[in-house]
Amino acid sequence: MRARTKKILFSFSLLVFLFFYIPILFVIIFSFNDSKLGTVWTGFTLEWYGSLFKNSQLIGATLNSLYIAVITTIIATILGTLAALALHRYTFIGKKSVEFLFYIPVVIPDIVVAVALLAIYGLLNMSLGLNTAIPGHVAITISYVMLVVLARLSSFDSSLEEAAKDLGANEWQTFWRVTFPLIFPGIMAGALLAFTISLDEFVISFFTLGPGSNTLPVLVYSMVRLGVSPEVNALSTIIILLMVIVVVVVGLRMRKGENLNEKKL
Amino acid sequence: MLGVQMVKLEHVTKEFDDTIVVDDLNLDIKAGEFLTLLGPSGCGKTTTLRMIAGFEKPTSGKILLNGNQVDDMEPYKREVNTVFQSYSLFPHMNVYDNVAFGLKMKKVGKEEIKERVTKALKLVQLEEYGTRKPKQLSGGQQQRIAIARAIVNNPKVLLLDEPLGALDLKLRKQMQLELKHLQQTLNITFIYVTHDQEEALTMSDRIVVMNKGKIEQIGTPREIYEKPRTRFVADFIGQTNILDGNVSAVNGDMATLELADQTIEIPNSSEVALKEHAFLSVRPEKMKVSNTPIEGPINLKCTFKEKIYVGSVTKIVVRLSDGKELTINESHENIAELTNNNDVYVSWNPENAVMLIK
Repeated sequence: MRARTKKILFSFSLLVFLFFYIPILFVIIFSFNDSKLGTVWTGFTLEWYGSLFKNSQLIGATLNSLYIAVITTIIATILGTLAALALHRYTFIGKKSVEFLFYIPVVIPDIVVAVALLAIYGLLNMSLGLNTAIPGHVAITISYVMLVVLARLSSFDSSLEEAAKDLGANEWQTFWRVTFPLIFPGIMAGALLAFTISLDEFVISFFTLGPGSNTLPVLVYSMVRLGVSPEVNALSTIIILLMVIVVVVVGLRMRKGENLNEKKL
Repeated sequence: MLGVQMVKLEHVTKEFDDTIVVDDLNLDIKAGEFLTLLGPSGCGKTTTLRMIAGFEKPTSGKILLNGNQVDDMEPYKREVNTVFQSYSLFPHMNVYDNVAFGLKMKKVGKEEIKERVTKALKLVQLEEYGTRKPKQLSGGQQQRIAIARAIVNNPKVLLLDEPLGALDLKLRKQMQLELKHLQQTLNITFIYVTHDQEEALTMSDRIVVMNKGKIEQIGTPREIYEKPRTRFVADFIGQTNILDGNVSAVNGDMATLELADQTIEIPNSSEVALKEHAFLSVRPEKMKVSNTPIEGPINLKCTFKEKIYVGSVTKIVVRLSDGKELTINESHENIAELTNNNDVYVSWNPENAVMLIK
């Protein structure tokens, strides 16, 4: 009976993982497929990787996406970290409300943010371009950064800051030499989250980008209406590879940080 | 050895949300002194230490360090260093960088840093451990590193906030003596906070007993133990028997105290007045029990209740006629033959009894 339960659970888990990863696997496999239609395997080729780098539209959209993601990550990480530090360190009237305001963008649908931004841009008579997508991206990612950094700070022993000041470090030195290195894994995790959310954000980009300036998800969306091109498969494979590398590197770094931060009693 | 005044607290009061934690504290601490702030938790001793370190600002009053008023000065500008209760070693730095931190902040030259850090680590017998991370050290070793990290800066005053609290008893006893010797070697003023009265008695030049934000008594360990001024001090430091009764007569240096249905003559040390309620403290080891009254000293008639062997001494518990119990410590060879519920006489020399206020 127990062995059977184990078997069933194993099969079920296997099915869930297959469900997750078979589509991704297909994308990777078909990026090497020597057929334009992309539904039948006809042979191995690296042609799509070659033509990908000649496809100025796809390359342009990828660069746009990376540009927005990098700017968004920088702004959201700085602001989110500062917000977390303020909420962690100070008590002030309305602190709970401020904290609550930071949770709202997490639960609010992206479409609401998109429409609201569009309305504001209209009101201000701003013309849409590439940069008009950034405020929306920052708005939805800043909360994630703040929440992750705040979680990190809650396990931070603030007597370490007192120790630094006691040893002659001023506020600035204390922050950079003690606080920052110790919450850095949290900041990195928050930044990574912001980066990935921004990179595959579709709704806000779709609404707030100006004509001609596409991000990758927006371009792919318009392309797939005519069928998925093998170049998109090739591009997706490269992005998957890059993200896996980033997550593994950050994960290893964070684990190292965790070990250092563990308090021995 | 004790020289000029190093730390002075003048009418220092600290309130947190309308709760008075430290109440009008006045204290003079001399250079090179080992001073202990002793009291139960919540008595304000740690807050007092934190105000000297600069982590808390007094609500009112002045703090002077080496003659300069510092109560508004940031902690990083004060010439004091702290050994924290939880050590607070920087987990992302190795032992060497932890100890060097203060010197780096003061922009001391690299060569001098190396020399001083090595010397400090040698002083706490951990010179081999420079490249280790704090979490790779035992609690006792972390404690030593915390001390090295503080004293490497040659502070005018070293503040220690229950630094031995997390160590096991044996290591704590060993560290008490080491700290005491270290203080004598370095000749730095130590202000030490503890709730452990034995620790305070072992290490201190002077003890400040605090209760509810106020100073109950300041004195040498011997004065605190043998001549407690208040009921709180007598009770908090060691064990004692407190007898309370009314003063029925005052005759010059002597007063007559009515206890239960007996009267005893006591030296009027704190100048009690007639009809006043007075408290008398007599340490268990200063009392004797016998079957017949002893000539000379004070004799108090009691009923024998029980005797308990506790290793170093035997504790004898007797009861006064009003039900109050007294405990007497006797060495095993001096114990008289005692029978349950028999009348016995408890005696002590008048100079071993202390009159208490409150």
